[in-house]
Amino acid sequence: MDFSGSQTIAAPIDKVWAFLLDVNKVAECAPGFQSLEVLGEEHWKAVVSVGIGAVKAKFTLDVTRPEMHEPDHMVVKARGKAPGSAVELSGDMHLTAVDSNQTRMDWEAKVIVSGTIASVGARLLQGTAEKLTGQFFACLKTKLEPGGTSQS
Amino acid sequence: MTTTSAGPHVHGLGEPYKRKEDARFIRGKGNYVDDIQLPGMLYADIVRSPYAHALIKSIDISKALQVPGVVAVITGKDLEAAGLAWMPTLSGDSEAVLAVDRVLYQMQEVAFVVAESRYAAADGAAAVEVDYEPLPVVVDPHKALAPDAPLLRPDKKDRQPTNQIYHWETGDRAATDAAFAEAEQNGVVVRQDMYVPRIHPAPIETCGCVADYNAATGKLTVWMTSQAPHAHRTLFAIVSGLPEHRIRVISPDVGGGFGNKVPIYPGYVCAVVAALKTGRPVKWIEDRTENLTSTGFARDYHIHAEIAADKEGTVKALRVYTLADHGAFDAAAQPTKFPAGLFHICTGSYDFKHAHVAVDAVHTNKAPGGIAYRCSFRVTEASYLIERMMDTLAREVGKDPAEIRLQNFIKPEAFPYRSALGWTYDSGNYERALRLAMEKIGYEELRREQAEKRARGELMGIGISSFTEIVGAGPGKHFDIAGIQMFDSCEIRVHPTGKVLARIGVQTQGQGHETTFAQIIAAELGISPDDVDVEHGDTDTAPYGLGTYASRSTPVGGAATAVAARKIRDKARKIAAYLLEVGEEDLEWEPGRFYVRGSPSKGKTIQEIAFAAYTNCPPYLEPGLEAVNYYDPPNLTYPFGSYICVVDIDRGTGEVHIRRFLAVDDCGTVINPMIVEGQIHGGLTQGLAPALYEQLAYDENGNVLGSNFQDYLIPTAMETPRWETARTVTPSPHHPIGAKGVGESPTVGAPQAIANAVVDALAHVGVRHIDIPITPWKVWAILKEKGLATA
Repeated sequence: MDFSGSQTIAAPIDKVWAFLLDVNKVAECAPGFQSLEVLGEEHWKAVVSVGIGAVKAKFTLDVTRPEMHEPDHMVVKARGKAPGSAVELSGDMHLTAVDSNQTRMDWEAKVIVSGTIASVGARLLQGTAEKLTGQFFACLKTKLEPGGTSQS
Repeated sequence: MTTTSAGPHVHGLGEPYKRKEDARFIRGKGNYVDDIQLPGMLYADIVRSPYAHALIKSIDISKALQVPGVVAVITGKDLEAAGLAWMPTLSGDSEAVLAVDRVLYQMQEVAFVVAESRYAAADGAAAVEVDYEPLPVVVDPHKALAPDAPLLRPDKKDRQPTNQIYHWETGDRAATDAAFAEAEQNGVVVRQDMYVPRIHPAPIETCGCVADYNAATGKLTVWMTSQAPHAHRTLFAIVSGLPEHRIRVISPDVGGGFGNKVPIYPGYVCAVVAALKTGRPVKWIEDRTENLTSTGFARDYHIHAEIAADKEGTVKALRVYTLADHGAFDAAAQPTKFPAGLFHICTGSYDFKHAHVAVDAVHTNKAPGGIAYRCSFRVTEASYLIERMMDTLAREVGKDPAEIRLQNFIKPEAFPYRSALGWTYDSGNYERALRLAMEKIGYEELRREQAEKRARGELMGIGISSFTEIVGAGPGKHFDIAGIQMFDSCEIRVHPTGKVLARIGVQTQGQGHETTFAQIIAAELGISPDDVDVEHGDTDTAPYGLGTYASRSTPVGGAATAVAARKIRDKARKIAAYLLEVGEEDLEWEPGRFYVRGSPSKGKTIQEIAFAAYTNCPPYLEPGLEAVNYYDPPNLTYPFGSYICVVDIDRGTGEVHIRRFLAVDDCGTVINPMIVEGQIHGGLTQGLAPALYEQLAYDENGNVLGSNFQDYLIPTAMETPRWETARTVTPSPHHPIGAKGVGESPTVGAPQAIANAVVDALAHVGVRHIDIPITPWKVWAILKEKGLATA
């Protein structure tokens, strides 16, 4: 499945970049996030639980960021598994300063889901992915935009 | 065969005798594999691959072994050490029992966990950690043949360097091509691509087994969901090296097979290994998803078909090319000499002078199988293509689909008829069956109604299928499974009081053998079916047989039963002659009794004769009254029928409503019309299924999109129309009682009647073909494109 989107965030580009650089902050916005463990430089183990229709699965993800270009380009890759299921994610993100207080984020994601979760939830995957993406950006905006909860 | 005379009424052939086995089923007293409980029994679950294609980097079972209740975890490496990591398939391929270094389809077996309870086994399976490296996935069989396609089976690259399993041809290519060249000049040629999708038999009882090894006696007993227990015992002996007389396979009550329970699955082998390893009985039962995604699928034929005809629509030649998707292992269950099964029947009921068929089979990253789902080895695919093509030809030459069939049928006087592909049809009267169907359904009136509706903008279609089947394999010299010839058997013991125990080599999965076979004996011996118990499915007691599939029970096992009963009667005549002090030639037979010609009152009943066989046997005869017959049929049988389906299409939703469906079947002599009727109802429903609902689809990553009954739509009572049935009787000339077999005819004949009806409803706007399953979405898209959709 391929997804892409564009978000305008009411925050300066360096503030958005700083937020995205901090994996703990990003993880807090990831729907179903449970834990994060540092495995090495730019290498983490994350545990995330997702539900697609009637199927619930706890994925253990191996996360890396193979490309970083401050302050506007980041690539995140993750491969994860749950009993009977597996997922591969690749996210590519570009930031552009619209003006001093507005940043546009253009993103693309490629997701390959295998196993029970793909088989049983096939008809619900697209909708679920869109819902989870929506939740992530809503959280991101809450934390970054004026009036949001983040103080950083 | 006559059952009317002065003798007792015996409920022999042609009687709707109530099924003997139903007494236990309706009381909930059936005994299925999952009902079996043994002391100390362990339960199994299988770790399966989420990937359709991947290397296995490592398997870590340490956490699984710590799960409370888990007793053992078996991996492919363990099996490899024991020489059991691979097993032969029924098509001469080797299939991984548990994957060692790579997985080739989603849900492939990777590890086998045994535990004190089913729950602990599932927890243990979830705790097995497998590290995979995903590989490119081949889903489309056309791409499997591309030069840059990944090689899916490096394990056999020495003998098979590409993903192509075989290329097979039959018929006369030169003569066929010449007939096409002629038709291109002076006649008509019609062509059509069609896909007969991958479907699954989906028996209500999934597959499973209980394996029990007695270390003291060295005897292995396996209760399993098997359609062919004897053949499975032999394969177990060959694969495991255990002596065959110390293996007992018991196929108890089986909740539907339809071909799904012909192959040997990894779970059976692993359960046996686990029983040997743990010293305790091991039960393995699939869940629904495992059954749908990993066990024998059916069909999956991509077909290109062409007919050459003259301008009047008289057929001359048939040319077919097929790409067969066999999945990761070639585990097609069919006689070894016939890689595409009995696809030869694709000339159908029509008098083609020439035909040529080519089939290429390929590997893809899908589950293995290719079983004959309620059909005799690819007969459904063959029948679908020819019946669709006859409609296409009718449109091309501007004739009614009924007319084009009547014009081209093999004539009754042409039997035995040798087809262009070299098969000898035993008997048939196709015109009589179609004319009866047309009369019963009011064909001409329906065509008038259709014309009126069409004028009003309503969409109504009438579809015909005049199919011919080919069932009842052997003969053994042509048909074998893993080298074992396809005969079948019956052993009859008449006890001193005249009660009978019959044991048969075929095995019921719901077909009613315990009644039908009792009726055959009843008819031959003139006793009540109530006095005949029929046993099957236990290799320690039943005579060797090849099992029940491909509608072979009545044609082969039924013949063995009739012949064995006749042997009993022959001996009974000798005993009767002795008792009555007359010559054998002076005796007349009436059902249940021999009497002296000219003195009907002087006779001996079969019960009196049976008693004498044990108490007062002639000194020149062996005592007792038993017989056994191993029957090797001289030819296959060719049941046929004509089905007519009437549909209405909703222009708003694209939904197809089957208003009427009339099935005229001819299965030769009918043993029990009530059972035949039940078989036809079930088979028609399983023919409706692929026409409108069922498909095992895969996404581009090899994920199965039909892994449960929410996504894989089997028709229920809600979707099933009221079936109307009728019958003609054209006995098989070579079968002892003239029977041909019926179990699969409706599954074979029905899909194209429905497809033809839908296409017929849309033919006036130029629609020539719609691939099954014909879903509302497909129809609606066509309505939209043709400007017919009202929403």
